[in-house]
Amino acid sequence: MQEFLTVTALNQYINRLLENDEILQDCWLKGEISGCKLYQQSGHLYFTLKDEESAVSCVMFKSRVRSLKFKPQDGQEVLLRGSLAVFGRQGRYQVYVQEIQPYGVGGILLLLERLKRDLEIRGYFAPEKKKQLPALANRIGIVTSQDGAALRDMVRILKQRHRRVDVILVHSAVQGAEAPRELARGIALLNRYGQVDIIIIGRGGGALEDLMAFNTEEVVKAIYESQIPVISAVGHEIDFTLADLAADLRAATPSQAAQLAVPDMSALEQELINRQKRMQRALERRLAYWDECLDRIMSKKLWYEPEILLKDKWDDLQANREALIKLVQDKLREKENRFALAARSLDTLSPLKVMDRGYVVVKREGHIVKSGSETQIGDHLTVALNDADLEVVVESKELKLRYG
Amino acid sequence: MDKMKFEEALNRLEEMVEKLESGELDLEASIKTFQEGITLSLFCQKELEQAQGRVQRLVESLSGDLELDDLDV
Repeated sequence: MQEFLTVTALNQYINRLLENDEILQDCWLKGEISGCKLYQQSGHLYFTLKDEESAVSCVMFKSRVRSLKFKPQDGQEVLLRGSLAVFGRQGRYQVYVQEIQPYGVGGILLLLERLKRDLEIRGYFAPEKKKQLPALANRIGIVTSQDGAALRDMVRILKQRHRRVDVILVHSAVQGAEAPRELARGIALLNRYGQVDIIIIGRGGGALEDLMAFNTEEVVKAIYESQIPVISAVGHEIDFTLADLAADLRAATPSQAAQLAVPDMSALEQELINRQKRMQRALERRLAYWDECLDRIMSKKLWYEPEILLKDKWDDLQANREALIKLVQDKLREKENRFALAARSLDTLSPLKVMDRGYVVVKREGHIVKSGSETQIGDHLTVALNDADLEVVVESKELKLRYG
Repeated sequence: MDKMKFEEALNRLEEMVEKLESGELDLEASIKTFQEGITLSLFCQKELEQAQGRVQRLVESLSGDLELDDLDV
């Protein structure tokens, strides 16, 4: 009896071979879609992928169909990613599809437009989220291929402008299946490292298909989430990559990114020296001004002839004293005059003066006798002369008539 | 970042210069402003001399540590 396998065992055996093959478990296929059918009930998508000579069955399960950014249609050229397994019941292998991308410029642009709108709605391109680039960046993080011309161009130009600039590279594939993940990881790594002022992510120019890594949500999200400002530098001919839209600043080429990232140091150094000089000059001018003010003040006479401060007061005092003396003298003189005048009048009126001229005063018992009628014959009277009093007796009396 | 940024320092320095140039400060304020300006300009100077001109590659080791090695471009 010959050894044999059951059909099931055969299919299982073949399936194990497929499962153990690294390439067949995750590969990209290019082809044209035909016989495309979406089952309403299960939600799975079935189609055949073919080229000029061959065809292969494909199935995409409902959970993956949901992530499609476009509607696959018959005749469409696509790239798809998936794994192979045996479908035992029919004894054939088929592709279990993970993702599908339109192939060719038209298809890609259509996909891009959708993705762009989607990411826009989620705020990844919002202008208010853009970070400002520092005026002075000393340490530049670069995410690109370490073998590419883009890196050499950037380092050359960075050093031209900023001789001592530090460059921290995170090597990354810039095209192919791994590129999106590696680019995103590069940005995250530089953020974790934290010691760079700006991140440049980019590559040299290429066909649209080669730039697709810069059009992935993964990379856009990494740029958006970066705490460090990001410059995108993808050399390309089309209008934009999604990375450009998410970046804080977009450069048309890696060289331009390098130019935007660091200042022209000699100009900046000159600017600093200018400010130092201006400040020094301004202070010197101020000090000179105050010096002059001080000189002007110190040159005044009062510092070396302080008595001039008193001179006015002294003069005032002198004048007042003189005025006072004069006033007193005047008063005195006036009093003297009045006194002399009074004395002269007094002198004129003095009875002694009258008596000098021969008049006498007649008194009786101390009272002045002014009329003969006051006396009787025989009265004792006193006749006062200037130099003596005479006691007399009235012997006769003859009254006189008075005229006038 | 607590550290003052270069452009912040440069702008403040410009303010100090303009204040001094205006001639409106008294002596004490002038000296103080000048001193602050000198401090700022020294800071800027230092920032300009921060970098060392190295080109390095940052890699994450298997243990998850960040490592830098020199790169010849």
